[in-house]
Amino acid sequence: MNIHNNMNLDTSSSKRKRMARCIPALAAAALAAGCASVPNPNPTDPLESYNRGMYAFNDKVDQVVFKPIAQGYETVTPKPVRTCIHNMFNNLADAWSSINSFLQGRAHDGINSMGRVLFNSTMGLGGCIDVASMNGSKRIVNDFGVTLGVWGFGPGPYIVFPFWGSTTLRDGTASLAGLAADASMYTPIFAIDNVPLRNSIIVLSLIDMRASLLSADKLVNDIALDKYSFIRDAYLQRRQALVEGSHATSRQSLPDYSSDDLPDYSDNGDAPTAPAKPAK
Amino acid sequence: MRHTLFSFCTAKFLRLFAAGLLGLGIAGTALADEPVNAKGAPNDFVSAVGNNALAAIKAEPAAKNGDLSKINQLVNQYVLPYVDLEKTTRLAAGRYWRQATPQQQKDLTEAFKGTLIRTYSGALSRVDNVSALTIAPFRGDANADDVVVRSTLSQRNGPPVGVDYRLEKTSDGWKIYDLNVEGIWLIQNYRNQFAEQISQNGIDGLIKALNARNNK
Repeated sequence: MNIHNNMNLDTSSSKRKRMARCIPALAAAALAAGCASVPNPNPTDPLESYNRGMYAFNDKVDQVVFKPIAQGYETVTPKPVRTCIHNMFNNLADAWSSINSFLQGRAHDGINSMGRVLFNSTMGLGGCIDVASMNGSKRIVNDFGVTLGVWGFGPGPYIVFPFWGSTTLRDGTASLAGLAADASMYTPIFAIDNVPLRNSIIVLSLIDMRASLLSADKLVNDIALDKYSFIRDAYLQRRQALVEGSHATSRQSLPDYSSDDLPDYSDNGDAPTAPAKPAK
Repeated sequence: MRHTLFSFCTAKFLRLFAAGLLGLGIAGTALADEPVNAKGAPNDFVSAVGNNALAAIKAEPAAKNGDLSKINQLVNQYVLPYVDLEKTTRLAAGRYWRQATPQQQKDLTEAFKGTLIRTYSGALSRVDNVSALTIAPFRGDANADDVVVRSTLSQRNGPPVGVDYRLEKTSDGWKIYDLNVEGIWLIQNYRNQFAEQISQNGIDGLIKALNARNNK
């Protein structure tokens, strides 16, 4: 028992050291990638100049490395195997979601997610088959960033992390702190003593995550005018909806489009004045 | 009098009976063309529009295999007539709408149409034989002019997708003007993109950019 605990400590402290070593490299990449000028600064995105640079960098890396790997994985792995792998990682995520639901005081959601984990881990053969969803239980997506949001922390500025992508100050801090403190959905994976096996599972989880985004990726390509803005706004809206939880479409939280229907007093003499239909 | 009362009751019973059948999951498979009553309850309106689109996609092998151009065509036919494109475009343009000439407003609405169709299609791109639309019980003021209908699209190849529709009561009945997929509202997601394009290249620049995407 003691030995096991020590090993756990060792792995997590070496992990932290490794992360510390990465930080200067990441900062350099960020500096190199940032510094594009932004013609129309957006008040909700104060770091836009850096973010756009990092987004372009991530996109390039994705095109060259991650996306081809994910596509290759989709080609060589039979669909049932991929589904099984995806479900098993979802099962781990559900366990972490359940804990967060309880932390947020959403006991009903917490019990639901816990029920899913118990059901899928047993009847679903270790999470391989998502029997809970087949029986009409919807997954409740949750993490520690959402928990902080429910506790009253605002999202802070939107940040694009190197390799990682969209996050905010709150959500990024929650994720990094969770990894550093070994409290995340990956905790059971990090607890595996066999290092090659553990690392293979982590890599597999990343590939699975990227592969599951391939169709969303295609949709964004089809409909976004500016991919950076589209992804940012979608991310921020989605996170906000998760923090609001089941109240997401209650009256108060619906987007209020009327504010812009107030008279526009901008001093723009040459703008054509059109008899626009008044909005309600 | 008694006769009319009787027939009224029968009609009501038949309607309830039909609703019961729909509830049993017979919807979508047999009834390709459920009548859409835009002046009825918002829930029934969305259910009819959604189920018609779903049935049309299921009946079309190419669409079911994810052929987006086919799905776009069906969405154009089954969903677009019930969408208030002008309102969607006007709200996405925000304060810039009033700076546009009537011709620009018309062109912008037409140019945005392609993107809207692709967005609605995106929500339906993974439909398969077991896909079903579940409309959540209506919560809110039934007499309001601006309502939200929540639904879940379930499918075999993936998790169920939560789709909410925002409707406005017009003189022609209900019209959909905004769509929420898993917490993301469509109009909200285009406001910044529109504003960026307009402030850089003007309204004509935005129309051009949208048309360029349509022709891709």
